[in-house]
Amino acid sequence: MIVEISHFLSILSTALFFLAGSFALTLKNTTYISNLISRTYSHAFLLLSLSFFIYIFLAITDNFSVQYIANHSNSALPVFYKISSIWSAHEGSMFLWIFFLALWGFIFNISIYNEETLKPKTIGIISLVLVGFLLFLLITSNPFVTILPIAPLNGADINPVLQDPALAIHPPTLYLGYVGFVIPFACSLAFLINNDPAIKWEILVQKWSVAAWIFLTVGITLGSWWAYYELGWGGYWFWDPVENVALMPWLAATAFLHSLSVSIKSSHLRTWTILLSITVFSLSLFGAFIVRSGIIDSVHSFANDPQRGLYLLAFISVIILTSLSLFISRLSLIGAPNNIKTLSKESFISINNIFFGTLIFSIMLGVIYPLIYEYLYDQKISVGAPFYNAIFIPIVILAAIFLFFSIDSKWSRVINLKFFSKPISLSLLFSLAVTLLIFINLEKVSIFILCSIFAGLLIIFRYLIEIWNAFAYKKYLNPFSAIAHFALGLLLVSISLNSLLSSERALNIKINEFEQYKDLKIYFTDLGVNKGSNYDSVQAKFYIEDQNGNSFNLNPEKRRYFTRGQITTETAIYVSPIRDVYLTIGDQLEDGSWIVNIQINFLIRWIWFSACLMALAGVVLILSKRKV
Amino acid sequence: MNPIRKKRLSSILFVFLFSVSGVSLILYSLNSNLDYFFTPTELKKVQMPPNKRIKIGGMVLEDSVKRNTSKISFTITDYENSVIVVFEGIVPDLFKEGSGVVALGYLDNEIFYAKEVLAKHDENYMPPNLDIKQ
Repeated sequence: MIVEISHFLSILSTALFFLAGSFALTLKNTTYISNLISRTYSHAFLLLSLSFFIYIFLAITDNFSVQYIANHSNSALPVFYKISSIWSAHEGSMFLWIFFLALWGFIFNISIYNEETLKPKTIGIISLVLVGFLLFLLITSNPFVTILPIAPLNGADINPVLQDPALAIHPPTLYLGYVGFVIPFACSLAFLINNDPAIKWEILVQKWSVAAWIFLTVGITLGSWWAYYELGWGGYWFWDPVENVALMPWLAATAFLHSLSVSIKSSHLRTWTILLSITVFSLSLFGAFIVRSGIIDSVHSFANDPQRGLYLLAFISVIILTSLSLFISRLSLIGAPNNIKTLSKESFISINNIFFGTLIFSIMLGVIYPLIYEYLYDQKISVGAPFYNAIFIPIVILAAIFLFFSIDSKWSRVINLKFFSKPISLSLLFSLAVTLLIFINLEKVSIFILCSIFAGLLIIFRYLIEIWNAFAYKKYLNPFSAIAHFALGLLLVSISLNSLLSSERALNIKINEFEQYKDLKIYFTDLGVNKGSNYDSVQAKFYIEDQNGNSFNLNPEKRRYFTRGQITTETAIYVSPIRDVYLTIGDQLEDGSWIVNIQINFLIRWIWFSACLMALAGVVLILSKRKV
Repeated sequence: MNPIRKKRLSSILFVFLFSVSGVSLILYSLNSNLDYFFTPTELKKVQMPPNKRIKIGGMVLEDSVKRNTSKISFTITDYENSVIVVFEGIVPDLFKEGSGVVALGYLDNEIFYAKEVLAKHDENYMPPNLDIKQ
């Protein structure tokens, strides 16, 4: 019964969102209309959130007459996982996605004055996007379907791999990032419809865009961290199609934020910024299509349903084509200002945007090329890490070197690049020294990895010098730019060193014996059988000693879950700032020994730390009062 | 042509040449880094250069899994032809005899040396091109 109320409320909210959208696009922009649209939107959001919270309540109270809850939850689960089971599969996660989309619009709605010229149209466009997705939810993926007349006694349980705190918060964070870019998207379209170049929509959306970017950054990082400790493969990035479709909006958004800052500071690149705002949101939608249509094989993809894919493809095409044709029809709206001066900050950011564009294009190609290829030649192919490495490594190195020289550049002014100024020569010297040190101490090093270490070090040292100057001599330093770019340098160095130093090996060990791997002595001390609340497990106990006499225990497990009979590997990881020791156990051999996989992952924590530092830079920007 | 047009033309030409060379570089790198997917039967029909990274998929043949020290060997089959696979490491949790598997690696003298072994996280998973049979 309650589920019907929830269902009805979401239908009602769809109708109200439709009203808000059609008001905004058809009625003339007056104070009265503006208030009307704002209120209609707020009421529609109220209904939708009521519907969503009732749905959460149903999940908490184990209402297994709802088919979706029966298929994905279980009464034995803790409340936390009962709630997160809502976004463990397609229908519920789509519901959450839509709720977040509406939430961004709502916060925008209540924090911007109704007098703002672009507001009614912005809210209207958000409403129309919402209508499209709500219809998608209600028609093709209805989470409110009930099992009547007899509900099952218990649910089918959540996939054990997903019973994890990081995974419970990873999708919501990622979704908040994806859909947050509806604000700059809707606002730039409103700007185009409004047809008045004097309005600075860029200033209005900057902090909103940064907020969405923070969520996207944190969401991707959480996913990477989860995959590392849960899947047992030990990597942080697999170039899986679904990871790629999250990386594309992130790259586009980062390019957008750079271009946005140019448009705000000096009115250059305004057309380009609008195009990017459309691109970012389109790529977010494209991601939703790839994941939910099931056209691509991936560990993440949801069940295959052609009807869903078709609807999404049609709807997304409508959004992209409409916004692009609007964009093209208003190309002349913003007259081109003077040319960008060479070696000004604008010129460097333009170059950066070319790099970002190339990266996005390459990933896009890697994602869709297998589809095209199979269609044309009837041969299955996949694009793996070698392709992405071949593209990313040189471009990122180039971009980092440009970044290094852009630090001295000024807005709208040509600077004399002094190649041998003190900060430049000092950081060159330090980086060269450290790179040489690495080169001498390691046997075989690829030239590309050395280059990327060098490029990363350049940025790190350069910003350290700038930070020192800022504190010691009160030299001006833009804090968020400094933190974000410093983090990029750190990311480059830690990724390169990680790929250079990390190693793994499968060992066979019998109980009470030991093996040596690199500087580690691994003693297999005990094997026990444990019983968890919903699984059995075999737990191996290891005692590990390194050459400096440090020692620690690691207890990897293999679990078998009752409800689905699924077997999962629980890794055991020894964490330290320099390296992780990562153990998983495999099967027992005939002679009684066990296969144990050991990985030594260097600096892997620093990869996630750098990503978090980037997100922190975004927070600093949002909190700053100064216009940027 | 007046000077402004001339300048414009040359910049358009420059952008065009630049993007064409960029795109062709990317496409070249894409083509040299593709992983082809084969079933054992398809693999029989093609000539494969020995150090080309490929993927093969099929079912793990019953009673074919042999473990010795840290190496595991098994046979991937599509019930018409088979390939012997050697892999060093821990196979995924869902790897078992009689179920679907995809291996990524290199073929050398009829033996496939796998770098990665994937069993899809789905009990009902069938490797591509195999779902019609059985």
